[in-house]
Amino acid sequence: MDPFESIKQTFFQECDELLTDAEQGLLAMESGDADSETINAVFRAVHSIKGGAGAFGLEQLIRFAHVFETVMDEVRSEKMELTDEVAKVLLRAFDVLADHVHAARDGGSVEETRSLGALGELKGLIGAEDADDDMNNGADEDFGFVPVTLSVEGDEAPGGFIDLDAQNASAEIAVPSIEDETGQTSWIIEFSPKTEMYAKANESGLVLRELARLGETRVTLLDETLPPLDQLAAEQAYVSWRIQLFTDSDEAAIREVFEFVEDDCNLTITCEGGEAQAAAPSAADESLSEDDRAAAASANADIDIAALLARVGGAEAAPAEPAAEAPAEAPAENVAALIARAQSVEPPPAPKVEARPTPAPAPAPAAAAPAANSGAAPAAAPTATIRVDLDRVDRLINAVGELVIQQAMLSQRVLESGLARSSNVALGLEDLELLTREIQDSVMAIRAQPVKSVFQRMPRLAREVADMTGKRVKLVMEGEGTEVDKTVIERLTDPITHMLRNAIDHGLEDPEGRAAAGKPAEGVVRLRALHRGGRIVIELQDDGRGINRPRVRGIAVDKGLITEDQVLSDEEIDNLIFLPGFSTAETISDISGRGVGMDVVRRSIQGLGGRISISSEPGKGSKFTMSLPLTLAVLDGMVVTAAEQTLVAPLSAIVESLTPRTEDVHYIGGKDAVIRIRDIFVPLIDVGVALGFRETAIDPASGVAVLVESEGGGKAALLVEAIQGQRQVVIKSLEANYQQIDGVAAATILGDGRVALILDVDALVTTQRRKPAPRSEKRMAS
Amino acid sequence: MPAASALKTLIVDDQQTMRSLIRTSLHALGITQTREAPDGEEALRAMLSTPVNLVITDFNMPKLDGLGLLRAIRAHGPTSKVAVIMLTGRADRELVQRAVQFGVNNYLVKPFTTQTLKEKIEAVFGPLS
Repeated sequence: MDPFESIKQTFFQECDELLTDAEQGLLAMESGDADSETINAVFRAVHSIKGGAGAFGLEQLIRFAHVFETVMDEVRSEKMELTDEVAKVLLRAFDVLADHVHAARDGGSVEETRSLGALGELKGLIGAEDADDDMNNGADEDFGFVPVTLSVEGDEAPGGFIDLDAQNASAEIAVPSIEDETGQTSWIIEFSPKTEMYAKANESGLVLRELARLGETRVTLLDETLPPLDQLAAEQAYVSWRIQLFTDSDEAAIREVFEFVEDDCNLTITCEGGEAQAAAPSAADESLSEDDRAAAASANADIDIAALLARVGGAEAAPAEPAAEAPAEAPAENVAALIARAQSVEPPPAPKVEARPTPAPAPAPAAAAPAANSGAAPAAAPTATIRVDLDRVDRLINAVGELVIQQAMLSQRVLESGLARSSNVALGLEDLELLTREIQDSVMAIRAQPVKSVFQRMPRLAREVADMTGKRVKLVMEGEGTEVDKTVIERLTDPITHMLRNAIDHGLEDPEGRAAAGKPAEGVVRLRALHRGGRIVIELQDDGRGINRPRVRGIAVDKGLITEDQVLSDEEIDNLIFLPGFSTAETISDISGRGVGMDVVRRSIQGLGGRISISSEPGKGSKFTMSLPLTLAVLDGMVVTAAEQTLVAPLSAIVESLTPRTEDVHYIGGKDAVIRIRDIFVPLIDVGVALGFRETAIDPASGVAVLVESEGGGKAALLVEAIQGQRQVVIKSLEANYQQIDGVAAATILGDGRVALILDVDALVTTQRRKPAPRSEKRMAS
Repeated sequence: MPAASALKTLIVDDQQTMRSLIRTSLHALGITQTREAPDGEEALRAMLSTPVNLVITDFNMPKLDGLGLLRAIRAHGPTSKVAVIMLTGRADRELVQRAVQFGVNNYLVKPFTTQTLKEKIEAVFGPLS
């Protein structure tokens, strides 16, 4: 591939990440909990998109991103107040920005009215067209900048280039001097706090900040007296400051700043040009300073302890350079300290730093090295990720799947060979089993991803649906960090999308309706993910009108899904909406409908081995709850025998197992068996018959009944001949290898190498329960 | 006249795209000794472990931004003489001015061409050979 083309691909990949970051930041801004770093991150994201777009000449994108960036710049510099309206405009514009990115990637274009509309809104915020003007300036603006060439004294090399390979750098760089622009008076202030000052809860940082209000300051931190860590006294304050202040104010005004601390510090204020005193030495031998490290740190808010300690050298907690990287020429320095210096030595508003080129005594590198090892790289750790091709992970997962099977087979063989369970071989196998499980869990964890990738698409969807329906929605998302297997994630988008549409379109009332019901005009939809009982649960809750049960019941009767006299609990009525054929064109709008009903949602959830249910309270809202396995690759199952077949029932569905007593089993209409379990009758399903392995059911008393519960809460007892045991099995798709079979969810390979079918408990239960009336058993599939 | 091939360059940008673009351009100019860092902190680490002649850095980066990096470079003896070229968007005029105060050697406006990049580098080092 053309390198340029491949960089472009990278760019679009990066754009996706940037857009994600930006949207999250914008959402935080909308909900009012964005800090300046969040806002900055949004700005950076947009800025980066624009930058990249510029490199590839993506004009539409540049234009749009530029205006967006301008607005973000106003917001982050607090020139523009971040109101609710601004946030909303930004979010809408964000959607267009995302479209621009995708259009640029796919070679399309964004609908012009949409783009212009959003641009208009953005420009409305900055109240001008100047964003555009800015764009039209010359390509390479001259900022009145004169390049600073490198000059090397006594070196004839014209450019002053230092060949690092040839020699060690010692060239002088002509750093442009900072001119005294205004002709203000320059003052030199030396400020050395004593212990007492900190003891009285004064802060040097505040003083310095106050001082900075008088004019431009250049602050030099004098920390030469800072002893090595082992000699550092907690109560002492070691640091002092030398401040150069350019101001119109007189000495009295400067002194006023120190009003409250003057008695507790050594202070000299000199008009520069006069006798500017030598800064550091006096500070050094004074009894002066004081205070503990924390106070020293807080005194200058941004110098963190770690950095200070790091500068001292022998610090243990300091994030120091790994020893191997510590350059020979800079033993005392490390990155954290440098950064601390670069970032901290100035009080706010944009003063200049005159960081001293390290006269700090270099503590023995030997002392620094072990410290470096112990405290190494906390900064680097969080980003310690690698990108791995999904194929490789899948291969690994498959191999581990096979390993699990092999291990199970081996265990079984050993068992069959008659070796004692206490034998070394058997014990070793047990360890192997534990290890295998651990490996499996770890591998699964690699594939596990936060549901964030699905959730993050939802805010936009909510905005769109709300716009179309004229409703006002606030989407609250929780648990985005909840992890679930990638395959599950990929298939979650559609059901959640559908349910969210549904919740806004059908669940929420329009603003007037809500007002009439005494609710706030803005409806709240909560999307939440959590782990519960080894599964991931996703809840979608709205505070809308709830399910209209009489109407649902009426529709179900009309459609022949239930009989008119059928007695159903509220919950059962609510769950009618999941029945195939319940949704009709009449009950669904083009927004939530798209031609599919909730039965499709349920089917896709079931396809993932999941369950979905609804609970609803009229007038208060509805809650959909989906429960899904964390992975589609393995399953804890109960291995059972039915009609001489070995089958696996998912453990998650099993409530209990029992041996039926003849007197508890009753037959309705002489055919359909029910079993009484603690005074409740549930259908007794002979699995062999249900799957077509045999014609007639076995005598219940000769088998075992496994009580299972489906996601709708429906219970049934599965009649099998025997239970073999509990096992973790690797799921092999039946559809991929053969074809779909009713009542069978998937297949697996057992320890003895045979293929066993995994029962689709929900299908078995619902097939049985859905038979309209107990007597119409003709409908039963055979 | 410094040889392009001897010029050790560190590219600092949080965007992989930008780093790739700059690298591609530098390589085209014969500046093949390039390394990359995604932010100012990493850049400092990289510079301290292996000295470079030239740093080409973006302004807007997480953690330590370009200005912070510039100041750290200037503040630290062994690195204080390294040439620094700042990348900037058009809206960053103010920042360029601040960067000048902190001793930046040159700036480069995005998007840039390989030719512009060459000019900017040569303005600092003299003609490359």
